[in-house]
Amino acid sequence: MTTVTDHGGGPSGGDQPVTGPLLSIEGLRTMVRSRGESFDVVRGLSLDIYPNEVLCLVGESGCGKSITALSIMRLLPTPPVRVREGKIRFRGEDLLSVSGRRMRSIRADSISMIFQDPLTSLDPVFTVGDVIVEVIRAHRDVSKGEARRLAGDALAEVGLPDPISRLDSYPHQLSGGMRQRVMIAMALVLDPDILIADEPTTALDVTVQAQILDQLVTEQRERHMAMLLITHDLAVVAAVADRVAVMYAGEIVEQAPADELFEDPRHPYTQGLLRALPKVSTTRQRLDPIPGLVPSLQMMPPGCAFAPRCPHALDRCWIEEPELRADQDGRVFRCFNPQPFAV
Amino acid sequence: MKRVLARTIYTVIVLALSSVAVFYAIRLSGGDAVAARVPASASAEEREAVREQLGLNDPFHEQYFDYMGRLFSGDLGNSLTNNADISKLLTEHGRNSLILGVAAFVLVFGVGIPLGMLASLRRNSWWDGGIMTFSVAGMAVPNFWLALLAVWLFASVLGWLPSAGCCGPKQLVLPAVVLAMEGMALTVRMTRSAMLENLNQDFVRTLRSGGLSESKVIGRHVFRNALVPIVSLAGLRIGQIVGYALVVETIFGWPGLGQVLVNAVLRRDYPVAQFFSLVLITIVLLSNWLADVGYTVVNPRLRRS
Repeated sequence: MTTVTDHGGGPSGGDQPVTGPLLSIEGLRTMVRSRGESFDVVRGLSLDIYPNEVLCLVGESGCGKSITALSIMRLLPTPPVRVREGKIRFRGEDLLSVSGRRMRSIRADSISMIFQDPLTSLDPVFTVGDVIVEVIRAHRDVSKGEARRLAGDALAEVGLPDPISRLDSYPHQLSGGMRQRVMIAMALVLDPDILIADEPTTALDVTVQAQILDQLVTEQRERHMAMLLITHDLAVVAAVADRVAVMYAGEIVEQAPADELFEDPRHPYTQGLLRALPKVSTTRQRLDPIPGLVPSLQMMPPGCAFAPRCPHALDRCWIEEPELRADQDGRVFRCFNPQPFAV
Repeated sequence: MKRVLARTIYTVIVLALSSVAVFYAIRLSGGDAVAARVPASASAEEREAVREQLGLNDPFHEQYFDYMGRLFSGDLGNSLTNNADISKLLTEHGRNSLILGVAAFVLVFGVGIPLGMLASLRRNSWWDGGIMTFSVAGMAVPNFWLALLAVWLFASVLGWLPSAGCCGPKQLVLPAVVLAMEGMALTVRMTRSAMLENLNQDFVRTLRSGGLSESKVIGRHVFRNALVPIVSLAGLRIGQIVGYALVVETIFGWPGLGQVLVNAVLRRDYPVAQFFSLVLITIVLLSNWLADVGYTVVNPRLRRS
């Protein structure tokens, strides 16, 4: 199932990947300015996405996952949020410095994105067909009729029943799962290289969640595209991820191939996340949460961001921030005092 | 469809009730309907005879049904004061009012919507500040005062435009602008806030993620969404224009329906006053009905699939 497992080490260590990254984020800092004060919500994030892989970006609400995705697409709500520093390279271009026109031509055609809430994410006064046709014609010089045919094919492809007549439906006439299928069809209609899916199943019923996730993975395989899946749901990660990057307070604290991460997490935050999962067992057990709270991004502690909640924090952790680097096993994480994982 | 039907029935009921209200109100307002018809020297007996002949001594409900019966058979009657044919009054003055009303309507939306969009797209700029100041002033200044001010400035001081008269383009400018001012100011504000609200919707981000240009995203999608509340209140704007026409036509001596109605009420010319009141009420009700149907057209969420 894991087609690409060899680049857990990323660019700085581990086994060298066979091909280079498709998209490469270097030192991304995205800041928010609110009421005169400004602070970083993404704090020097580096991440590579390789062709044909499913990379899951995991972390709790507010850790900067969505802001990272929107930074890639250059769709941040500016002001108040804007990229302050860093590079996002895609096929030799830095997306942060290309022209607005160039960026528009990359969106949907090379990099697509789908969003969390499919109800509010679709224009309520246009039919879904109208909008997909518009997206196609923004990038391809085809007639309306031809674009409509392509749009119908795209809806059929994502498993929407009765796709041709659905072209004339308005979003409010569709169920949540159908709307998300429409979003997927719109995102994939131009066959992009990368699909960014920001919590695509969070707003859906549990049964529909599985179908949508299945659809996404099927599409990713068939099209050989890369998928950056943003989620806080570790069950989703376990089901679909080739590689996982764990985010905490605006930075990546650990990244690894999915199986290694679940078997042997190195960073205390990752370990805490896995320990906090409810377990199926014969005896009822209390859940095991991570103590404490995420530090406020306005007042970050000088050392490791996780130190205040870490059971193994050393004096050094409070003063100095550990770097994200590979250890002798090629595992990449950000910790001075890693401990073996014990459930 | 059900919604349209319900609105139509509602419109007919309101029209029937208002015809009763108009009929009674003008008879209860005092004054003498025959004063203008008989010479000042006429005796009390002669006046009474005319009153009897016009049926003004019959009970109210008999007069009402009598009048409505004739109205439905197409007989609009004649003026009590100068015997003028009411159907002729309607075509002559109706045409003038239509010119003025359409001009005002075009200003309300043709100027109000673009100004509102400009303010929303240049938010917090000098443009925005200027347009919003204009809009607040337009809503705050009563139109009869604005009319006098405009006459003073453009007719007396600058001498650019005539202060009154009919019916060329030069005479049209001042009454049309004064008539449109409040509706225009409201449309500016509404367009601005509807645009700003929709610019922050999630679907805007989706459309941008699809690589659409800003002109498509804003000019087509955000605008179409912003149009929903604007169109839904277009009927109220028409009602406002009709109501204010009474004042504006009188001030500018524009010989329209409003002027005829005001004069008829002052002279207690029952048939003219009744008929033109009903005409104006019908226009307001029809425009509300239209706005409701229009709302269904611009807002697909109200349509049945």
